[in-house]
Amino acid sequence: MKKLLLVALALALICGSAYAAEPVKIGLMGPMTGSWASEGQEMKQVLDLLAAELNAKGGLLGQEVVVVSEDDGGDPRTAALAAQRLATQGIVGVIGTYGSSVTEATQNIYDEAKIIQIANGSTAIRLSEKGLQYFFRTCPRDDEQAKVGAQAIEKMGFKKVAIVHDNTTYAKGLADEAKGILDANKDIEIVFFEAIVPGERDYTAILTKMKGFEPDVVFFTGYYPEAGLILRQKQEMNWDVPFIGGDATNNPDLVKIAGQDAAAGFYFLSAPLPKDLPSEDAKQFLEAFSKKYGNPPSSIYAVLAGDGFRVLVHAIAESKSTDPDKVANFLHNDIKDFPGLTGKISFDDKGDRVGEVYRVYQVDDQGQFILMP
Amino acid sequence: MEQFFQQLTNGLAVGAIYALIALGYTMVYGVLKLINFAHGDLFTIGAYLGLTLLTSLALTEHIGPVWGVSVLAVMVMGLVALIGALLDRLAYRPLRESPRLSAVVSALGASIFFQNTVMLIYGARFQVYPQNILPKTAINIFGLYVPLIRILILLASIVMMGALYFFIQKTKVGTAIRAAAIDQGAARLMGIDVNRVILMVFLLGPAMGGVAGLMVGLYYGQINFTMGWVYGLKAFTAAILGGIGNIPGAMVGGILLGVIEAMGAAYLSIAWKDAIAFCVLILILIFRPTGLLGERVAEKV
Repeated sequence: MKKLLLVALALALICGSAYAAEPVKIGLMGPMTGSWASEGQEMKQVLDLLAAELNAKGGLLGQEVVVVSEDDGGDPRTAALAAQRLATQGIVGVIGTYGSSVTEATQNIYDEAKIIQIANGSTAIRLSEKGLQYFFRTCPRDDEQAKVGAQAIEKMGFKKVAIVHDNTTYAKGLADEAKGILDANKDIEIVFFEAIVPGERDYTAILTKMKGFEPDVVFFTGYYPEAGLILRQKQEMNWDVPFIGGDATNNPDLVKIAGQDAAAGFYFLSAPLPKDLPSEDAKQFLEAFSKKYGNPPSSIYAVLAGDGFRVLVHAIAESKSTDPDKVANFLHNDIKDFPGLTGKISFDDKGDRVGEVYRVYQVDDQGQFILMP
Repeated sequence: MEQFFQQLTNGLAVGAIYALIALGYTMVYGVLKLINFAHGDLFTIGAYLGLTLLTSLALTEHIGPVWGVSVLAVMVMGLVALIGALLDRLAYRPLRESPRLSAVVSALGASIFFQNTVMLIYGARFQVYPQNILPKTAINIFGLYVPLIRILILLASIVMMGALYFFIQKTKVGTAIRAAAIDQGAARLMGIDVNRVILMVFLLGPAMGGVAGLMVGLYYGQINFTMGWVYGLKAFTAAILGGIGNIPGAMVGGILLGVIEAMGAAYLSIAWKDAIAFCVLILILIFRPTGLLGERVAEKV
């Protein structure tokens, strides 16, 4: 009898405490390890900061907000497992992730579990062309990026263009898109179009081959670890062809890997960097971030993850519900020019962010990223 | 034609590194018939230890780049050799009498252990060697433009492989290693301490792998905790290509694999270069199942 009483008491305690503080859970899926670890770790820092600020102000729907994070390792296979784990943890929505092929591996898992997914760095076009109702992204799309890249190449007057990608969903998509636009221009000839194998150390073979085609400019659509090595080896070969990178080369580690000399003069496309964000909200956020972690955020994708979090929280608060259909509906239809950290945010029917233009940046002699006029 | 020779030098430099790592696989296999899957991670550890020693001791500032890097290489070799010996003592020796599969599983476990240890100690981000440790000059050879470091990597590898070959062929300990590779039981009857031979193998192989890691760090600059996987796989392939268990085979296999990759990239397609390299491997194995220099081993029943 005594035992039974004890069990009943324990049960009551467990249920009671769980009921009293059922927090609103928001997932974060990011590359905490692997090649893109610096992106994922900063995403987590941003979300931890925003969640702490929100909880200090009284939380969401009267409840505490908890960020549940999982590591996708920057790898589609790891990501699918991470998504399955997150899907069983009662999260309302998930923020992330960075790489497009990684996001693609998880889209259907979240869709079937009716979990809202807001990607922060996955710019591949086809992600939002699948008619998934719970998928959104705060970053722009690659057709927009390819357009800006092609315009930059035309404006700088390059005639012979080499395009190099790395066969990932994002890089190949961007390369194909840019090729399509440049092919339409009769003055510009694409002399070289090939893929590298990411994750290696030696890219001199491709550089030697590419040099034989004498391009005026190289458009590299892969990620920063490889871009840094390629720039370094290009300098070693004494080849001074200008390079333009896609927005995945936008990371300060690029300069560290390539070295300041080799990185100087490198152009890349990107949404405005954290330091160039104009809004008052953004300045306050940058200050709070620097205060907590000792340095400002270096990656725009981490800030875009923060925007995903803020817009999701806003939608939950306004629709007064954690029902995915209601929140998704609100995100699709009722958000107009939400003041995000990276500018105004609205979503179209596909879940893509409306507006927001890519800029061209250049790395200067000191390794700083300078916004081109 | 110029491009051909340029690609040849590219391939040789990459291949020299593969060959150095392949030696570790092939020596362990020769004596123990075990694929040491943790060998690629010993290579990673070499790269990270090199970085730590380089930045903390600032050797190159005190005694100049040439001596600094040489001393550094010796220190890295010593430390990684020590880790290799510990690996054998803790992970393989207790399983010496068990079925071969147990040791292979133990090797995989050791690989995961090393990889995660490096990640936990150094973090998951890319680490970068300091710039300008080595001079960035390039040499003009008959109109070919070859960075000096590439030549140094190739020379250093060849010297080390030569020394190893001499050691194995001409010294008493080397003879003991060869004897143990042929027949452990008979070697024991001849008064050879087989466990000490195996210890020797686990000192030499990891030392070569560790110094290869240091070279990759010094030359390419960028290292991370997963780098051992790609290099380990390629070096393992090189060891099989040359005939696993055969030391000159590992050297030939490594250099050949590097050159095939560079040529595949140059004249066919870059994205397909790994596929081309592995097709060559399959072809060679079809016609020479023991690898290029592999000995014909009578199957023991």
